[in-house]
Amino acid sequence: MDIVVCFKQVVDPELPAKDFSLDGSTRRQVRSGRPLVISTYDENALEVALQLKDGSGAKVTALTIGPQATLGDSVRLALAMGSDEAVIVDDPAGPDLPGAVKARMLAAAIRKIGSCDLVLVGCESADWAERVVAPLLAEEMGAACVTFATRVEPSGGGLKVRRLADDGFHVIGAGTPAVISITSDETNRPRLPKVKDIVAAKRKPVHTWAPADLGSVEATPTGEGVTVRDVAVPQRTTQCEFLAGEPSEQAAALVAKLRALKLL
Amino acid sequence: MNAVLTDEHRMIQAMVREFAARALAPIAAELDQRSRFPKEAVAEAAGLGLMGMMVPEEFGGSGMDVVAYVVAQEELARASAGFQTIVTVNNSLVCDPITRWGSEEQKRRYLPGLCSGERLGCYCLTEPQAGSDAMSLRTTGELRGGEWVLSGTKSFVTNGLEADLCIVYARTEQAAGARGISAFLVEKASPGVAVGKVEKKLGIRCSSTTELVFDGCRVPQENLLGGRGEGGRIALATLDGGRIGIAAQSLGIARACLEESAAYVGQRRQFGRPIAEFQATRWAIADMATRLEASRLLVHRAARMRGEGVPCSREAAMAKLFASETAMWCAHRAVQLFGGYGYVADYPVERYFRDAKITEIYEGTSEIQRLVIARSLLSRR
Repeated sequence: MDIVVCFKQVVDPELPAKDFSLDGSTRRQVRSGRPLVISTYDENALEVALQLKDGSGAKVTALTIGPQATLGDSVRLALAMGSDEAVIVDDPAGPDLPGAVKARMLAAAIRKIGSCDLVLVGCESADWAERVVAPLLAEEMGAACVTFATRVEPSGGGLKVRRLADDGFHVIGAGTPAVISITSDETNRPRLPKVKDIVAAKRKPVHTWAPADLGSVEATPTGEGVTVRDVAVPQRTTQCEFLAGEPSEQAAALVAKLRALKLL
Repeated sequence: MNAVLTDEHRMIQAMVREFAARALAPIAAELDQRSRFPKEAVAEAAGLGLMGMMVPEEFGGSGMDVVAYVVAQEELARASAGFQTIVTVNNSLVCDPITRWGSEEQKRRYLPGLCSGERLGCYCLTEPQAGSDAMSLRTTGELRGGEWVLSGTKSFVTNGLEADLCIVYARTEQAAGARGISAFLVEKASPGVAVGKVEKKLGIRCSSTTELVFDGCRVPQENLLGGRGEGGRIALATLDGGRIGIAAQSLGIARACLEESAAYVGQRRQFGRPIAEFQATRWAIADMATRLEASRLLVHRAARMRGEGVPCSREAAMAKLFASETAMWCAHRAVQLFGGYGYVADYPVERYFRDAKITEIYEGTSEIQRLVIARSLLSRR
């Protein structure tokens, strides 16, 4: 099975709040000087792909769109974790591309990669969280689409997929090619790379393509689809109130307050 | 500081930091309180390639340089100094001398298991009457009937309870001091080897520290490590590497003190404001950070020199001396900043305080480090 895992490099979500800032002119998060990592759910997607590889000997290609200059660590991590090769579409605008444009570029890159039975992506990016790439990419590829999956395994000629549902989870079948978006559960916690795999990663192939190498990627008739008019950091205030009285009175007062706040 | 680390070093640092956060930090206090050996975490560390970091890949190791090793040790010690003790002994004091002085057969026989976590090593140099004066050791090795027979008692053996393989130093030659000593690879399960007293320690409690008693223990001739009479030289050269490992442990403890203190003083309010706003607090934090950075520079320099094969006894001693005293100093400041909460087990700094003390003692006390440094600077008298 040939698997492509699409990942996005984002500002580390663990970044201390004091180091987080927004650029009012571009209406984007400031990335410069911040630690950049593989987006959280994309790492889960990579883990699902590597488990398929462990089980059935799949080939795993890690694919990303972004500025090559900053992508080194993330690409190397994807390779150290066990991807066989990586493809970078070197586009400085990559991290902030609208989902629709990104989906078309990814589809074009996957066509250029060649054989592909399964595309795995994180269910949402850790920065914009639009959740649109998987369905739009499936549409572009004419592939089956399953969203919010946690586990994937081969079944007959296709795939057996476990996905989250409001009432628990569903186990469904999917044909290939398929695009599956991955969310986290206890079975797909990203593995840590071994020391020797970190060393070996530098010997694995990394292909760098310019956006022009993908052929023309047309804009949608409706433009970018989403226009960001403003960005702001939510202002949070905290206050502490001590409830007086005996424990039973405190409990009653607490319940009343939580109800008033519509938290109960 | 990152400017001197390669991309590879930084990736290893990130991996070990994540491992420590996942597998060690949640259990570090419990390991300490129960003096429990973290068998599962050791196995996981071995799987990641942390038990034989500098052993060449052909013998099952990770084939990394000494800088990568110290970077990893700092991260482990940041979470659990006791755990790091287990790891650093296996790496610095057992795998490293076998790699450097072992025969091809010894390397093939012992290193893969030590790297994979199937086996654990310990280092048997110190004796009840031979601590800082290690070369006065009295354990004897006699060649009888084509085998070596070892007799004597070793003390303060880290990993003594769980180890499978011991490097044992014994007096085999008439010559006094270092020239009369040979090193042996001894299976702990051999007849004539017994675990003696298990020490109850102030800190690093999840690693065992025991006596090992050798009573007529028979060792095949092929288990001599290096040549006859080379044991003293091997022991001292091994300790240069061991000291760098303990210096890296000191960095981890000092960093733990700094990071926990920096977080705490921002939350702890007294006199209507966070105590971070008081100048005395800010100076303490600044001094901790500055000493830590200076220590790290010394440790990384010594690691780089050792990796390049440059004699570095003085630099290793300087790194170990300064970093260990920095760890103790930072732990002292951290407990003071936490006040009463620094004295109780609800917060981790009391554990850091207890763990820090050993770094000034083992693998050469601070006083011995000063002697090593001074000896390299002054003419012999």
